[in-house]
Amino acid sequence: MILESDVLNYLMEELNGDILEAYKQRERRIFVKVKAAAVRRAVQALKKRYQTLRFMTLSAVDLGLDMEYLYHFHIDGIVVTIRSLKPKEDNTLESIADLIPAANFIEREISDLFGVKLINHPQPEHGLILTKDWPDDKRPLKKPFEGALPPKARPVAEALISSGCVAPISAFIQKKREEAGLQKSSALVFTSESSLNEFQGILKEINVGEKFGFDWEKKRLRYK
Amino acid sequence: MIKYAFFLGCQTPMRLPNIEIASRKVFEKIGLEAVDLLGYSCCPEPVVSRLIDEMSALAISARNLTLAEELGLDMMTLCNGCYETLAEANEILRHDADKRRKVNEILKHYGKEYRGKSNVKHVIEVLYEDVGLEKIRSQIVKPQKIRVALHYGCHLYREYKSSDIMRKPMMMREIAAQTGVKIVDYGLERLCCGYPSMQANEEFSLKNRLLLKLSKMREAGAEAVVTACPACMIQFEIGQVMLKSYGIQYNMPCINLMELLAISFGIPYKDLHLELHRSPVLQLIQKMGVV
Repeated sequence: MILESDVLNYLMEELNGDILEAYKQRERRIFVKVKAAAVRRAVQALKKRYQTLRFMTLSAVDLGLDMEYLYHFHIDGIVVTIRSLKPKEDNTLESIADLIPAANFIEREISDLFGVKLINHPQPEHGLILTKDWPDDKRPLKKPFEGALPPKARPVAEALISSGCVAPISAFIQKKREEAGLQKSSALVFTSESSLNEFQGILKEINVGEKFGFDWEKKRLRYK
Repeated sequence: MIKYAFFLGCQTPMRLPNIEIASRKVFEKIGLEAVDLLGYSCCPEPVVSRLIDEMSALAISARNLTLAEELGLDMMTLCNGCYETLAEANEILRHDADKRRKVNEILKHYGKEYRGKSNVKHVIEVLYEDVGLEKIRSQIVKPQKIRVALHYGCHLYREYKSSDIMRKPMMMREIAAQTGVKIVDYGLERLCCGYPSMQANEEFSLKNRLLLKLSKMREAGAEAVVTACPACMIQFEIGQVMLKSYGIQYNMPCINLMELLAISFGIPYKDLHLELHRSPVLQLIQKMGVV
């Protein structure tokens, strides 16, 4: 119990704002979710403080839109997992093989099976468990780039999140509305910047971007 | 004067403004003040938003409901889908303290708080309960003699006040009957028009839902279908256009209940912009003798 708290507190102190979530799942089992850019710093920090640190393995999970990487370490009877998400648009994995030589083969295995490109790996090329000429678009564990929504629901969800309205208005309908003495559009949320900011602020707080796979910068779903 | 916060939704103002136009003219005639909700959003759309996350849907609905609460008014919807989404969210948030707390934790960052003070009503309930059949009847100057089939729409059967799911459909039936139309029973009133299943399987939706309804309506002698919901109207109108690609043609005119009332109230058909319909409504009104 003392060691578990020590690891959690130490990582929170060392990584500060780069920790997204840290919790004890059960006795002698803790998870620390960090930003993808902070994985190497987390590993370095563990290595620096815990002399008995042992790298167990690295798991990779294709979540559809993102890859999840889980680095499992053993320290004096407890298992610490550093987990991070990487968008699949960035099809790379930064190696920790220079810090933890035992990660060399599992990183190559993941690279072969999911088709991710290794960065700063001593042998970044494919060909550990598959042939070197294995086609990139047929990696056995790589899933299609898909989010949770079925195809026909995507335009509706995209319109809802980006404009607060699921039905786009045409110039023809705007003209007809004006002819009938109505405003060009009804007082929907997208007609007022402050209302739209409020609406989208609420969606961001509920983490709709992650749940629906919506890119707030590009204002569209990450998948079509 | 009867006064309601007017929740227009998305489809009506953006795709079917003819329903909004007819509704506003009907409201004027019967003395119903519909106060626009400034900055409202989609209710949200009941099919897609529930696929992912209940809390997202509840928070969006709660924000809309607070707009009515801020006006100190009950809310009135024109659309069955908006009605169900908002009335259901209202019920959940009124009775589930944990969900209400979670939603209010988010809303408070924007100076809002859901209090559960506003009721949500479909326009049919407002017409029946607040305006009354007598007042509606008193406005009829052009009684209609056509035979119509009613399509109530699935979400109109959603009931939060009683256990009688036919409460609102029967209200719609009685309101429509005030215009003089002959309502024909076709036996498939409860069947969905197919609008939601269009998002999953177009052919199934058109052939196993819309086509079944249209054929039974035609067999029963209906000259037109009257709906209470803009989404159902889209299915009946655009769906008939799409059925042509399968070699099936029905040419069944489809109008909204509010349009039927407006025509019967003597509002000039040109003011109602009925040309926006994708089904032969202009031919129907010639038959109705209002051209």
